[in-house]
Amino acid sequence: MTILIVLLSLAAGAYFLAVIERWAVHGHLSLSGPAWAALALLGRESVLARKPDRLFFETGPVLLLVAGLMAAAVIPLAPGLIITDLATGALFLNAALAYVLVALIMAGWGPNGAYSMIAGWRFLGQFIAYAMLIVMPITAVAMRAESLSTTVIVTSQAQLWNALYQPIGFVLFVIAAIGLAWLPPLDLPDATGELAGGVEAEYTGVRLAVLRLGRLVVILALAGATVTFYLGGWLGPWLPPAAWSAIKTLIVAALMLSAGRYLPRIREERYLALSWKLGVSLALANIFLVGVIALVVPI
Amino acid sequence: MNELAQYAILFGLTVGVLGFVLSLHALARAIGRTRVEPGKDVPATSGTLSRDPVWVRYHARYGGYALLFLAFDMEMAFMYPWSVVYRAEGLVALLDMGVFLAVLFLGLLYGWSQGALRRQ
Repeated sequence: MTILIVLLSLAAGAYFLAVIERWAVHGHLSLSGPAWAALALLGRESVLARKPDRLFFETGPVLLLVAGLMAAAVIPLAPGLIITDLATGALFLNAALAYVLVALIMAGWGPNGAYSMIAGWRFLGQFIAYAMLIVMPITAVAMRAESLSTTVIVTSQAQLWNALYQPIGFVLFVIAAIGLAWLPPLDLPDATGELAGGVEAEYTGVRLAVLRLGRLVVILALAGATVTFYLGGWLGPWLPPAAWSAIKTLIVAALMLSAGRYLPRIREERYLALSWKLGVSLALANIFLVGVIALVVPI
Repeated sequence: MNELAQYAILFGLTVGVLGFVLSLHALARAIGRTRVEPGKDVPATSGTLSRDPVWVRYHARYGGYALLFLAFDMEMAFMYPWSVVYRAEGLVALLDMGVFLAVLFLGLLYGWSQGALRRQ
């Protein structure tokens, strides 16, 4: 029963994100737009490129959807409202999100097209930039909670949200999450208007629909992870816990999606330099700072 | 719920996603099938086939970063168990990992000074 509720709220959240993404890209707000777009995608032809690697081509979008769903499975919406409360939840989230890279490389390699191939390799470069900044801030979160279970991490923030307790980690995590979901301004692997759609270039029809759905679920899982690790999860006054999770997650996702409207794109080479020279140093400093604070202050 | 049941649920979800995607494919096929026409299956390269084959070796220009990434990723494998028992162990844990992190950070600085952190 709880699984069904979580899956339904995931679907509703993905639909809401599609509405927001439409607004962020095209500039007009339409509630029924994504539904028509999805129907149109199902009705279109799904062309197979010549001489493809059929296995990779078909597996890529499905793997992306599976990775997003596995990451979302360890995110609590309310006490008890979680698909699986793994004892190693935070680590499992990392492992699931690592498959986003595998899925994109497969989808880039599969159709045997130059543009999608380049896009896949670009995402590999971007992966090396964002990967450490996903993993390191989560360590500092686990240090405070003394656990990797996501529900314990939420309850550890009862007195003070982690966004205030470790603001450096929060900022680094959100920027890395935008890179992971290849959202603008870090969307050169996908590159609408640059590589003819990048990884999406060779996908049409129902396969493209699955790829886009997978990406929406990944964005939703990342927003949920940000809320769980840094914004106190379901904690909040007056409203019921599930409402707080929903509100916070959707606000974070909407902010992540709309960042691209106001910032220029960043090349993956520059992103690499920034995140290794500045990001990793800051992340190490964050771990050290949290270590000192966790020993001195007992909250 | 024990661990085995939790992983069984996750496996069930994966199979469920597969079934969902297959039913979407079936639905799309019921709406209409793809017509085979000449020239339609050319990959998106402005209408012509690309001159060179696509599946060749590429120059990875982030080799320096990739090597550093390997070192740091291994380090994270040690950090996760350490972070869970950190508060229980106290100052000893901070010093132990502090020395380890300091050595790694010096490695990062050394790599930086040798030009590992740039496009090659």
